[in-house]
Amino acid sequence: MIEVEHLRKTYGELTAVDDISFTAQPGEIFGLLGPNGAGKTTTISCISGLLAPTAGHIRILGHDVVGEGTAARRVLGVVPQEISLYEDLSATENLNYWGGTQGMRNPVLHKRVNEVLTLTGLADRAREQVKQFSGGMRRRLNFACGIVHQPKVLLLDEPTVGVDPQSRVRLLDLVRAQAESGACVLYTTHYMEEAETLCHRLAIVDRGKIIAVGTLAELRALLAEHDLLRLSGIFKPDAAKAAIAGIDHVEVLQADESLLLLSLPDASRRLPAIFSALAAAGAEVRGTNLTQPSLESLFIKLTGKDLRE
Amino acid sequence: MHFLAVSLRKDWARAVRDPAQFAISLGIPLVLGVLISVVFGRTPAAPHGLLLVADEDHTIASTRFLDGFRRDPLDKMIALEYVTRDVGRARIERGDASAFLLIPKGLQMAFLTGAPSRLELYTNPAQSILPQMIRETMQITVDAAAYFSRGGTPLIEVEDVAERPSKPARSFASIFLPSMLFMSLLFLASGSAADIWKERTQGTLRRTAASPVSLFSYLSARVIFVILTYVAVSLVGLAAAQGLAGMPVPNLAAAALWMTFVGTVFYLLFLWIMVLPATQRAASVLTNLVIFPLAMLGGCFFPFEWMPGWMVSVGRLTPNGWAITVFKAILDNSASAGELVRSAVALAAFGALAFALILRRARTFAV
Repeated sequence: MIEVEHLRKTYGELTAVDDISFTAQPGEIFGLLGPNGAGKTTTISCISGLLAPTAGHIRILGHDVVGEGTAARRVLGVVPQEISLYEDLSATENLNYWGGTQGMRNPVLHKRVNEVLTLTGLADRAREQVKQFSGGMRRRLNFACGIVHQPKVLLLDEPTVGVDPQSRVRLLDLVRAQAESGACVLYTTHYMEEAETLCHRLAIVDRGKIIAVGTLAELRALLAEHDLLRLSGIFKPDAAKAAIAGIDHVEVLQADESLLLLSLPDASRRLPAIFSALAAAGAEVRGTNLTQPSLESLFIKLTGKDLRE
Repeated sequence: MHFLAVSLRKDWARAVRDPAQFAISLGIPLVLGVLISVVFGRTPAAPHGLLLVADEDHTIASTRFLDGFRRDPLDKMIALEYVTRDVGRARIERGDASAFLLIPKGLQMAFLTGAPSRLELYTNPAQSILPQMIRETMQITVDAAAYFSRGGTPLIEVEDVAERPSKPARSFASIFLPSMLFMSLLFLASGSAADIWKERTQGTLRRTAASPVSLFSYLSARVIFVILTYVAVSLVGLAAAQGLAGMPVPNLAAAALWMTFVGTVFYLLFLWIMVLPATQRAASVLTNLVIFPLAMLGGCFFPFEWMPGWMVSVGRLTPNGWAITVFKAILDNSASAGELVRSAVALAAFGALAFALILRRARTFAV
């Protein structure tokens, strides 16, 4: 179990993490979803003991990360965002070393190394040096080194960045398997599809703050089944806002000279009314994009910007 | 202890996969040293001495007395340097020359009138061959002068000016190879220390910092691996220097122990330098800024025996210069046990300080 209470991390004037609190349970995959620079990696670094929090408390299975760092790290598995492997060692040697740092000894270590090599599909390349591996294979080995000691708490920092689709599916299956075996998994990503399909609960993070937290259903409910309508063209922002205000249940999320972002239920059937209102306000619509309720539309609704910006 | 075994196994596997670093660091200076030693031979190096002369007579006769030293072969073995009486006395007292000759005012007049006169020759007892050659040459010159004179015979008074035990002449290998061995230690240390940047850039240092292993344990395991490396390097280096080039190593254990000790402290020094800057490039530049002046001044590129006196004085103050001096004392069997213990304690203190400074910086560096 991971308990994060009022976590804050600052670097001089810059606040990277600002009063974040959440709890992740055993058997659960808890996602931290946010754009690059939102504070996800800083949060993971504080939880893994790499960075000292400026304020707040973090406990892993009841062990305070600052006060009982070694005990906390004994139950922790970390899969960093960057590949963190000895390139001049083989897959087996890497696994033996990282298992050894967790206090594992033979024959248990030997058995477990063979298991994770099979799990990650690397058994037939086990004796090759990592520098001869493809990007996807390195990612899988990076993951394997994080789970070789069967951690009760697993921190995964964007483990699928730059991975081919085949390896991504395999990695996501491995993450699910960890949770099913009872591990508490904290998963950071900026891929909405991954978060939607993988995580039991999610926290949406932006600029160091959690702006929404809950299950996927709970988060979707925040959108009240509203679609997201993105209109591009030439607009007079004030006139466009006034024109839209005359249509029921339409919320203007963003309005400028080239973009109009609207949240509304049943958008496809109400397009003609919107177009005629905008035409009357002197607007020229050149492009339309309609998005069904999703984490992306929720993120845009909450922050006014795209998740990938 | 379990982590130590795990870490040593990992470091050994990595070292075996990348033997070039050891081969280059150890091989190049050693091969160079052995080749040069073989070319110049195992026998004692050709003597090369300095005769200080205070000529207070400034006459043709006083000049002709030194003609023997200006002719082949003596001119290639003994250099003449004119000094004042006081400077000559002071320098021979310090052992800066093979001998000091004082030619008194009135020598030519005494020679022409047949009056007695006296040359004073002060020799350096730390040298055996050169002062004797100078004395005999002077004696022959004086005898010849007496033969042609009208009966006035100049006397040469020879005085040993210090009670220093005479040392046997040292071979080329014993002068040159210690420098090469310590150059190997320097480069091996900086190469081993640079690995910390590899660990950082490939993320393994960060991953270690997130594991239950403390950075103290991690660094200690690295240092122990380095110590084992230096034991092997020292034994191989000394065996090669002795077997191939004839460098005398009367106390192999003490010499290898000293090399290992010094190499490990060099490693800690360079590791500290490596973790200070924020970028690998800056770390590399900073290391080069330290290593090359140290090697040049501290008797690694050129032995102290070939360097000017002022440079030797500065060079012996550098860590490697001091370490080479102690090493040569071990090879000469002239270092007392107390001296060695004091030197080892000073080195250990320096190493401990460097270790503490590295540890203090390690977490920030890892993250």
